Amino acid sequence: MADDKKLNRRDFIQNSMRTTLGIAVVGLGGLSMLRSKGENWVWQIDPFKCTWCGRCATSCVMTPSAVKCVNAYDLCGYCDLCTGYFKNGVKDLNTGAENLVCPTSAIVRKFIEEPYFQFDIVEKLCIGCGKCVKGCTQFGNGSFILQIRHDRCKNCNECAIARMCPSDAIKRVPANTPYMIKSDFIRK
Amino acid sequence: MNKRPIIIFLLLMAAIIVFVIYKDLISKRPENRSVNPYEYDVVKYKSVDSAMVRYKEAQVISLNTRAPRGLAYANRKLYIASDSLLQVITVDGKEVNRAKLPASPSCITVTDQSIFIGFNDFIAAFDLNGKMTGRWKPLGKKTLITSLAVKDNLLFAADAGSRKVHRYSTDGKYLGVFDGKSAKDSKHGFIIPSPYFDVAFNHDGELWIANTGKRALEQYYDNGTFRTFWSNDEVGIEGFWGCCNPAHFTFLPDGSFVTSEKNNVRIKVYKPSGALDCVVAPSEKFPNEELAPALATTPEGDIYALDFQKKEIRLFQHK
Repeated sequence: MADDKKLNRRDFIQNSMRTTLGIAVVGLGGLSMLRSKGENWVWQIDPFKCTWCGRCATSCVMTPSAVKCVNAYDLCGYCDLCTGYFKNGVKDLNTGAENLVCPTSAIVRKFIEEPYFQFDIVEKLCIGCGKCVKGCTQFGNGSFILQIRHDRCKNCNECAIARMCPSDAIKRVPANTPYMIKSDFIRK
Repeated sequence: MNKRPIIIFLLLMAAIIVFVIYKDLISKRPENRSVNPYEYDVVKYKSVDSAMVRYKEAQVISLNTRAPRGLAYANRKLYIASDSLLQVITVDGKEVNRAKLPASPSCITVTDQSIFIGFNDFIAAFDLNGKMTGRWKPLGKKTLITSLAVKDNLLFAADAGSRKVHRYSTDGKYLGVFDGKSAKDSKHGFIIPSPYFDVAFNHDGELWIANTGKRALEQYYDNGTFRTFWSNDEVGIEGFWGCCNPAHFTFLPDGSFVTSEKNNVRIKVYKPSGALDCVVAPSEKFPNEELAPALATTPEGDIYALDFQKKEIRLFQHK
């Protein structure tokens, strides 16, 4: 009787294979569940890598582009002579179109107190060309940055502007932290 | 003769050629891209007539430090405040002293007898061996001390956080503060949009302060009364442009101003009248830098520039 209960080699191998298969199935199922519950990813522009080439305005599948200028107010100097707002070399700091960097007048200059001005972006007008960002970064504090706005981004599988970006500044970021504002993180 | 291998080889080669041409067509090479209709050309503002550059880079001293913060020249030595260290090096680049500091420094100035180091919200005095002789009372949470200047027994500390200049005696007694308003009803005094706020005495003992938001250099009496200023809002080489320039300045023995600018980084010499004299180092000397170098001059007229990003001290001498 004792001999009948003794595990022979064939049974041992069969049991081992069943156990291994079971662990693999349960493991794969668990992993799939974890992945399905894991975070989503969205496209975003690293402002420290961006070279303001203007491709965001022309390469995005959206018209106008889903890329917009954002002012990181923490960094803004509220300057009267804002180099993201005024063209280089202007003599009179007035809001005449010939003095402005923005081709669509998407930046509003609002007086705060002498001599400080606040600069707000009208997203409806902004086409994401990055001219203001270049002016601000090259001559000012660099508070203007380009960001992909997720209320309009289609989150394409292969982002058209990421493909064209000459500085590989566009990358996937977790959807729960979808923006990369300069004042919130520092250059790596 | 069996031609099949040759045909396969030729087909394979043709496929490779087609693939390479295709990859080249879709590559992101600059030549492959269409003209950018939104190009904003700022390069033209960085070019300088080479005849204006009258200094040459004569020496580079690499610093063994993580984060240099301030530079001073005195007693034929260079004093560098960095990390949490005070380093003293000879003009040959040999370190002769190193002392630990109580916090991360923000600026430094040196006299014949003492070293004064500004930290974010307080100042400390040291003897020339690096031993701390006094730690002065902190100025408050909004304070960010960015520059110090000493004349006789007076010390002036530029505070970019509160946009004011504090006045001390060199033994640490607080004497007062001024905000740069030229009159009581002036709407503003110092305009400091970023932490660049420099103060220095020229060789005649006149106090000069960089009002960077107005791109101006302003002179004050020792009691804080505004006296005069000069400025030049000009994007070209003649003036200062953008936010917060001149970020740093100092004086040559003849009273000329030596200025350094941030973003479009360049070092220039202005005559005591404020007219541009010459260029020390054009933007091309700082191709990847955006921080304005701190400056120090020698009695011989040499100019030392602390390149914060390369962690180097660069010596510029007249050609």
